[in-house]
Amino acid sequence: MSDIYIICVEDEPQVLDVVIRDLEQLEEFFPIEGAASANDARQLINEIKEDGNRIGLILCDHIMPGDKGVDLLVEMQKDEFTQSTRKILLTGQAGLDDTIQAVNKARLNQYVSKPWKKEELLKIVIDELTDFVIETEDDLLPYLSVLNQEKLQEAIRSKGYI
Amino acid sequence: MNSSKKQGSLHLTEESTRSLYDKEIFVQNINQLITESELLKSLLKTFEEGEVLLEEGMPNKTLYVVLEGEVSQHKEGEDITADIGLLGPGEFCGLLSFQTGEPIFITIKAQSQVKTLAFDHNNFDLFYTKYPEISRTLNGLIFSNLAERYRNMLGLHLEVAKLTRELEKEKNQLRKTIKELERTRNAYISQEKMATLGELTAGLAHEINNPASALLRSVDYLSQNLSQLVESSAKFPSTTEIRYFFDAGLSREYADSIEQRGRMKSLAGVFSHLQRSKIRMVAEMNDDLIERLMPYSGKKSQQELLNLLIDAYQSGLFLNGIRLSTSRIEFLVKSLKSYSRQSGKSPEMTDIRNGIRETLQILGHRLKSVKVHLNLEEIPLINCFVGELNQVWTNLIINACDAMNDSGNLYISCGVNSANDLVWVKIADDGPGVPDKIKKKIFQPSFTTKTAGGDFGLGIGLAITQGVIEKHQGTISITDRDGGGAEFLMIFPIDE
Repeated sequence: MSDIYIICVEDEPQVLDVVIRDLEQLEEFFPIEGAASANDARQLINEIKEDGNRIGLILCDHIMPGDKGVDLLVEMQKDEFTQSTRKILLTGQAGLDDTIQAVNKARLNQYVSKPWKKEELLKIVIDELTDFVIETEDDLLPYLSVLNQEKLQEAIRSKGYI
Repeated sequence: MNSSKKQGSLHLTEESTRSLYDKEIFVQNINQLITESELLKSLLKTFEEGEVLLEEGMPNKTLYVVLEGEVSQHKEGEDITADIGLLGPGEFCGLLSFQTGEPIFITIKAQSQVKTLAFDHNNFDLFYTKYPEISRTLNGLIFSNLAERYRNMLGLHLEVAKLTRELEKEKNQLRKTIKELERTRNAYISQEKMATLGELTAGLAHEINNPASALLRSVDYLSQNLSQLVESSAKFPSTTEIRYFFDAGLSREYADSIEQRGRMKSLAGVFSHLQRSKIRMVAEMNDDLIERLMPYSGKKSQQELLNLLIDAYQSGLFLNGIRLSTSRIEFLVKSLKSYSRQSGKSPEMTDIRNGIRETLQILGHRLKSVKVHLNLEEIPLINCFVGELNQVWTNLIINACDAMNDSGNLYISCGVNSANDLVWVKIADDGPGVPDKIKKKIFQPSFTTKTAGGDFGLGIGLAITQGVIEKHQGTISITDRDGGGAEFLMIFPIDE
C-alpha cells in the first residue's frame, strides 16, 4: 500500500517546526514532510510521486520568497496527481484577491489564519484527511483510530462494508 | 438700416426738433447735399476694411462723419484691448480730440468699406457758414452724440456697480468652493494615509503573526518537553549528555529541507525503531551528535534514553525558536515605534537613513521576493519631519513593489553632491518602468495605474510624496533607470 503524505510549506523555519510538531500525532499513518518554498515543495511532490506514494493534504503559507502559496495550490489543482490533495492555506495575511483565487482556482478547502490553535489546526487537518481517504481509499478501517471516526463509520456503512 | 426711411423726413424740417437728432435723416440730407456741393464732394473719403481712421494717442486734425459702413472702436488698456463697439452712419469719429486738441482717445478702424466726410477745422467752419441749416442738424447731432456718451458713461457706472456686486458674489462663491475643495483634498489625503496605514497594518500583522505563532507553539511544546525531560533525566546516568544535546538544539542552524529529507531516508535504516518524527530531529543533527546517538540506536532497551536525548535537543531547538521570535517581534515593534513617531510642529535634525532602514523593516512582508540593494553613504543630518519623510519612503517602495509585482530588484541609495550642500536619495526598481507620456502626470493628484477598487490607495500617493518633499524645500523627479525600470530622485538642501 502506498503512503499518504502530508506536506507543510512555510518559509520561516521556526514556524515550520511548530506546524510539523502540531501534526506529529498523525505521522504514524501519514508521513509529514516540510518544504521552505514553493520550489522546494515542487521537488518534494515529484519525489513522493516517483516513490509511488500520494499526497493527502498540503498545508501552505501564502507569502513566501519566490512563488506565492496560492500559485502553488492553483498549480496543484491543475495537476492530476495532486488534484484530489486537500488544500489548506495557513497564513497571517493573504489579500482578498489571492484568497478568492485560491478558492476559485485551487479549490481551497480551508483557510487557517496565524496564529492558530493546535486543536483547531489538528481538527481541520483530520477532517480534511478523512474526506481524502473516504474519497480515495477502499479500506477505511485502518484510519478509524486516527481520523474522524464518525465520518468514517458513516462512509463505511454507505459503502456497504459493514 | 439706411434703407428704412421715416415718412416725410426727406427734407430739412425746422418744425421737428427730433429730426435734428436723427442720424438717418442727417445722413440722407448730407447725401442729398453732396450731389450739389463741390465742398462736400471734396470732403468725401473712403476707407477700405481694416484701414485705420484714427489712432489712439496721435494728434487729431480730422473729424469724420460716417456715411456708409461701420467702424470699430478699440481702447488700449494696461494689458488688455477693449472692444468698445461699432459706429455706423450718422456717427462721429474723433469728435473729442478734434474739438479739444487732445491726443486721439480711441483707435477707429474700418470694419467694412466705409464712406465718410472728413472735416478739418477750416472746411468745418466753411461748412457751417455755407450750410447753416444742415449745420444746425450737425450741432444737434453733436450734442446728442455727447449726450449719448454721457448717458453711456452713466450706464457704465451702473454696469460697473452691478458687476462689482456680482464679482463679490462670485468671489464669495469661489471662496466657498475653495474651502470645500480643501476639505475634499484633506479627506483624500487622510484616506490615502489610512490606506497606507492599512497596507502597513496588514503587513505588520503578517510580520508579527509568524513569530507570534512560532512563539506560542514553542512555549507549549517546551513546557511539555521540559517536564518530561526532568522526569526522565533521573534514569539517565549523566546529565552532561542531556545538556550537550539541549545546547546543540539551542544553537542549531536551520538545515536545507531537501538535504534533510535525504538524510531522513538513510537514518530510517539505522534508527529503525524510532518514530518518524524523531528521525526528523535526528536528521537535523550534525555528525557529532549522530555519532553520540549511535550507541543507543540498535537496542530497543535503550530507546527511552535515545528519545530523551532527542527531546533535549528539541527543547533547545524550541527555546532557540522562542529567542529568535521574541527578538524579531521586539525589533519590529521598535522599528514601528520609531517609524510612526509623530514629528512635532518643528522639524528636527535627523539622519534620514534610519527612516529608510525602518521603512524597509516595516515593509518586510512586501519585500520577501524583492532583492534590496542598499547603498547608503554617509550623509549629514537633515532638518526634517521624520514621520512625513517615512511616508515618502513607504509610498515609493510600495509603488516599486506594485510595479514589480513584488518580485525583482529594489535599489536604494543616497549621498551628498560635490558642493556639499545637497543630499540626494534614489529609489529605483527594475520593473517595467514608466512611459514618458505618463512621467509628466505621475505627480498629479488623480493619477494612478492601479485599477479602481483594486488595491489600497487612491492614486494620490505620489502627489502627497511630492507635497512632503516640497515642504522640505526638496525636489523629486522620475527618470528611467539604467538597465530598465523607474528611478525616483529626491534632492534635499542641507541646512547650515
